[in-house]
Amino acid sequence: MPSPQLWVVSLGTVPYADALELQRSVAAQRISGEVSEDVLLLMEHPPVVTLGRSTRNANLTASPELLKARGVELFEVERGGDVTFHGPGQLVGYPIIDLKRHKEDLHWYLRTVEQALIDTLEALGIAAGRNTGYTGVWTGGKKIASIGVHARDWVTWHGFALNVTTDLSYFDLMVPCGIPDVTMTSVARELSPSSMTVSKVGDVAARAFARLLSLEPVYFDEWPTHPAPTNRARER
Amino acid sequence: MATKVVMEALSPTMEEGRLVKWNKNEGDAVKTGDSLAEVETDKAIMELVARGDGVLRKRLINEGDSAPVGQLIAVIGTADENIDALAGGGAAAPQAPAAAQEAKPGAGEQPPQEGAVPAGPAPDSAAPPAQERPRDARTSVPDDAAQSQGEASTPPQERDRRGAERTSTGSQGATLGTGSSEPGDRVRSSPLARKLASERGVELTTIQGSGPGGRIVKKDIEEAAAQPSAAQAQGAQAGKERASAAPAARRISTEGDYQDIPLTQIRKTIARRLAESIGPVPTFYLTAELDVERVAEMRDSIIELGAEYKVSFNDIVLKAVATALQQHPEVNAHWLGDKMRYFNRVHIGMAVAVEDGLITPVIFDADTKGLADISRESRELAKRARDRKLKPDEYTGATFSVSNLGMFGIEHFTAIINPPEAAILAVGGVEERVVAVDGAPAVRKRMNVTLSCDHRVIDGATGAKFLQTLRRLIENPLLLVY
Repeated sequence: MPSPQLWVVSLGTVPYADALELQRSVAAQRISGEVSEDVLLLMEHPPVVTLGRSTRNANLTASPELLKARGVELFEVERGGDVTFHGPGQLVGYPIIDLKRHKEDLHWYLRTVEQALIDTLEALGIAAGRNTGYTGVWTGGKKIASIGVHARDWVTWHGFALNVTTDLSYFDLMVPCGIPDVTMTSVARELSPSSMTVSKVGDVAARAFARLLSLEPVYFDEWPTHPAPTNRARER
Repeated sequence: MATKVVMEALSPTMEEGRLVKWNKNEGDAVKTGDSLAEVETDKAIMELVARGDGVLRKRLINEGDSAPVGQLIAVIGTADENIDALAGGGAAAPQAPAAAQEAKPGAGEQPPQEGAVPAGPAPDSAAPPAQERPRDARTSVPDDAAQSQGEASTPPQERDRRGAERTSTGSQGATLGTGSSEPGDRVRSSPLARKLASERGVELTTIQGSGPGGRIVKKDIEEAAAQPSAAQAQGAQAGKERASAAPAARRISTEGDYQDIPLTQIRKTIARRLAESIGPVPTFYLTAELDVERVAEMRDSIIELGAEYKVSFNDIVLKAVATALQQHPEVNAHWLGDKMRYFNRVHIGMAVAVEDGLITPVIFDADTKGLADISRESRELAKRARDRKLKPDEYTGATFSVSNLGMFGIEHFTAIINPPEAAILAVGGVEERVVAVDGAPAVRKRMNVTLSCDHRVIDGATGAKFLQTLRRLIENPLLLVY
């Protein structure tokens, strides 16, 4: 019996709408069983603001016109959580995990995603942790990663956003995550000067997820059209 | 046969879930596997999926409502099936489903969805075996965390049965609040809460429940046990807040005058944590120094028109506050314990010092009144307050208050919020100060204002944005007539 795998798919920069469609489709295939292994989609997005299910309008302080003027798209999506921003320099990860294979507990899952990011940051030399009551990953009182997930039949989608070299001024357009007075930070700001890139951080994060979920990572550069893993898996 | 849809546990420790979105309407055809609704916990959303085919006949809770795990929240049936027994005659009251379930205790009569519910004898142990919980067949047995929480996830009929047992034996009568078995009389509480309460000697009747419909849950008992006196004080305070809210509600609340905002999970967490820190009203303060040079010019020009046009700085501040509140209903708000109320109308309470204390007469609909009206009303109200001639309906019903101690030479102070109002503005005196204007020192008339905010309702940025608007209006007073 081969050990269960985590397909790590590094997609580069993907428009938000395409990514949404991809992760919904992968999740549907994971639910139906067509995709037999857990998946971690890693990517960056062009600037976009997304509103989660608990978004209060007041937390998006910028008008749709201002967002447009800054070239920022706006999406309302089915994930948990409030408003957030994605953009260049931010590692976005969409773990599509069948929790029936791990533990049917969304709180455990949220804490696991947090732990994977805490481990990732630790490997980069940043001491990060949790802020009880406020899901996400924090360092020195500042928020460095946001989390919002959705599940159906215990299969998850949506996921996390970790600021690597993100232009943090975009967060001024909103009350990030609906938490007032929150200051956002990034890997680059914490490590300054740093030569970190989204792709390097993505590699570390993928290993952290695979280890915490006891999965064997298998790497892809694009979503495999055929659901079975192929030889295109890279050695790292 | 009808299929029950119940609130599902998104984790073994979850006691209640908040339904954020219905994905099907009453009357919609549904198939097994269709997404019926979305439930929120923390930062996660879980879809509730249909476990039977038919028509979604009845939705028993609304979007934004919370329900305990295991509670019936919808019924799927055939188009013409009589579901009254299940849906409690269509009543949406939370008690109805539990009663309906209790009426059909036999496992054989359970709908297919709850095939995992046991037919076994009534449990006699404190923590029922995990497989007795209403989960679908795929769900794994919970881990050790479930041991301490298992009872919280017990299905409602189970709770009621055991509640009744305890009542009848009288062994736990005291902790049930009343010895009566009338469901309407009973303090609503979870079985785990009752057990904890009796273990820790907490009187259930003294606790304000934080669960749906004021139901007392485990967390409430833990908090009460940790700080018994504080908890009782908070309960009393909440009672007082409601009492003072009641006349306000009579005076000003007709439908459409306000918007009730259900509390999101994060809002509940913020409210609980901050109230624990500074209770019962967790207040923070925002101060701004405003330039009133142009207000002074405007006031001078008005006064030049004649004595009958005389207005005070405070009148202009009241007018500006009313205008700003109109744009910021989230500051023009009350904290009502289980929700926040944002008002569309602006009724400003104006603190007036009287011989032996202070009173806050109200300028109703201040945002719709001109400076002349506000000036005249505030003068009359202040005089009637000092003469003790105010009628109760003249000093109740404020949505927001303003306190001005400038006439006493106070530069800056913080005012104390008058619950259930969520904020109060403290206004200092106008004085000339040397400030930098375009890089050069200049003498300008300045005034400090400090907003005290109830953090359960108003967040830092929310209060700050209100002050931004107020600054814009005070520093550009022509906007007040725009």
